[in-house]
Amino acid sequence: MSYRYSDENTPPPARKASEVAQTTFEHVYEVDPRLMQTHVLQQVFPNWDTLRIMHARHDHLEWMHHHFAHTTISGSELMGDTTT
Amino acid sequence: MTGETELATPTVSTLEHPPTDLIDRVVERLHGVLRPDQILTGKTDRYNRARVPAPFPVHRWRERVPDLAVLPESTEEVAAVVRIANELKCPVVPRDGGTGLTDGAVPLRGGIVVDVKRMNRIHELDLENRTVTVGTGINMLKLNEVLGRHGLIYPDDPASYPCSLVGGRIGTSGWSLIGARYGHTRDLVLSFDFVLPTGEILHVGDGIGRKISKSSSGYQLKHLFMGHQGTLGIATKATLKLYPKPEAELSPFWAFDDYDAAYRFTGALARAGVATFAGAVLFDEWKVAYLRRDDEAYIPQPADVRALTCAVLYGWEDEVRVGGKRLFRIAKEHGARYLGDEISEGDWAARHDRYATPLHGRTKSGQVVPMSWHCEDAAVNYTDVPAVTKAWHEIVADLRRRTDVFDDWGMFAYTSADTGVDYLTEIDVGIWEQRLDDAAWAMWVQAKRDIAAAALAHGGSISACHGSCREGEVDLVPRELGRGFDVMLGVKRMLDPNNIMNPGKYLLDFAYQGDVSAQLDELRGIR
Repeated sequence: MSYRYSDENTPPPARKASEVAQTTFEHVYEVDPRLMQTHVLQQVFPNWDTLRIMHARHDHLEWMHHHFAHTTISGSELMGDTTT
Repeated sequence: MTGETELATPTVSTLEHPPTDLIDRVVERLHGVLRPDQILTGKTDRYNRARVPAPFPVHRWRERVPDLAVLPESTEEVAAVVRIANELKCPVVPRDGGTGLTDGAVPLRGGIVVDVKRMNRIHELDLENRTVTVGTGINMLKLNEVLGRHGLIYPDDPASYPCSLVGGRIGTSGWSLIGARYGHTRDLVLSFDFVLPTGEILHVGDGIGRKISKSSSGYQLKHLFMGHQGTLGIATKATLKLYPKPEAELSPFWAFDDYDAAYRFTGALARAGVATFAGAVLFDEWKVAYLRRDDEAYIPQPADVRALTCAVLYGWEDEVRVGGKRLFRIAKEHGARYLGDEISEGDWAARHDRYATPLHGRTKSGQVVPMSWHCEDAAVNYTDVPAVTKAWHEIVADLRRRTDVFDDWGMFAYTSADTGVDYLTEIDVGIWEQRLDDAAWAMWVQAKRDIAAAALAHGGSISACHGSCREGEVDLVPRELGRGFDVMLGVKRMLDPNNIMNPGKYLLDFAYQGDVSAQLDELRGIR
């Protein structure tokens, strides 16, 4: 976490991800702010909190894999060998 | 097709709650069988046990609030509570995780909510016979944390996995995401103790055994006491079948540029006969569009991706690898594009937990609005999935044309069995609950009737998963079950002579109204 308030409240420049979504940090997607102006206003999150939420989700998914099975086999491992 | 099943009068109504003096007498008697901390009469305690995740007009919340809740800790305490309720003719509503989507745990006429969450002990773990006996208030995730230490798993896996309870799975006869490999709740629960509406205690299983998976002795009562949505009694202690915890998991996702190709591929996967195959899921065009715009697990996709199929395999690593290769070979033959490891693994892990997601939808102008998720389901044969999909989207499109309260979030079709015979089809609908007034609610109830009617018209069943006792769909249950519904009425009348057990559900009030053949004929459309 950065010491300066301005650092924590300045996310990377948004890049358009689709007609309705944008991305800032890697794996972080947000609704295009123009679509959150009437009924639900977009909240400002400090960078550390945005990243915390994103990492927490990844932790949760990882936990779920291990909860149901000891290992996860990747599809990419099998793609190249479909002859047997 | 909207309006084809319209009825003159609604068949689900919330009647007067029990009078205050009756509740006072009930509470007084309950103090004779429970400790004070097991009897909850506070407003917060009662309101928190009035709701399930299915959207409902917020301004009518008060109608569904119980008069009190109790927290029994044993079968005997449940039986004592029910005996008092039966004697004083006070409604009783069993409540487990409260995650059901057909309002089974919602009191329609007040009374006592029996909250089983304190009955969450593991009574016996039998490693030799591979069974565990638990209180029905236990959650599958917490149970599997313990079983995992022994290399075992109880593979009942609903989308509410982290928050639903074993007893609720029995009461709804639940459907499992990985049921094509391990079976569904009805297959995994071997036997259970059950408190009847009179307070008598019954043990049901295959035969009388606690750990018998197949018996031909007598009527098969276990299924009768599963899926009744709390109208026949309360399961208190269950013996469950266990499997080795899978060594490996594989969950590939594939993309297609049209629905028909994805549909054909899904069928081919399900028919492949791969032993470790635990399920396949077909995502239609609306669902892919929703994933792109509003799903919390946002999936960036090229614009030409219009349908997805995922498959999941569990088992020993060597078996999963061989089975997985076979599925990838089928994928190649069908021109499927693999979506990559990150999306495949991430999205599958999220499927176990679809109840904890912040949800929003859109107005027709595209503005974001807070919406509650709702899901209508049916059981449909493979060959009828496309027609039902089309009919359901037309019904929801008609709703959306009329109001921004509803948003079509797309459809899934999940394999139910290991042969691909039938699918759990579901349409996810975003509902702007804060705007759900009486007029919008009436539109929704009619849409639910139409959705159920479309499933029946294509030879399906109203529900593969949730049950069918909610306002709207319940009107078509006599049509679906035919003479079987009259048998349901007879069973209800015999087991619950005072109609105290979850009254008002499944049209079972008819059991106490003399000759109802004319009303049933009307509901069956043969008047």
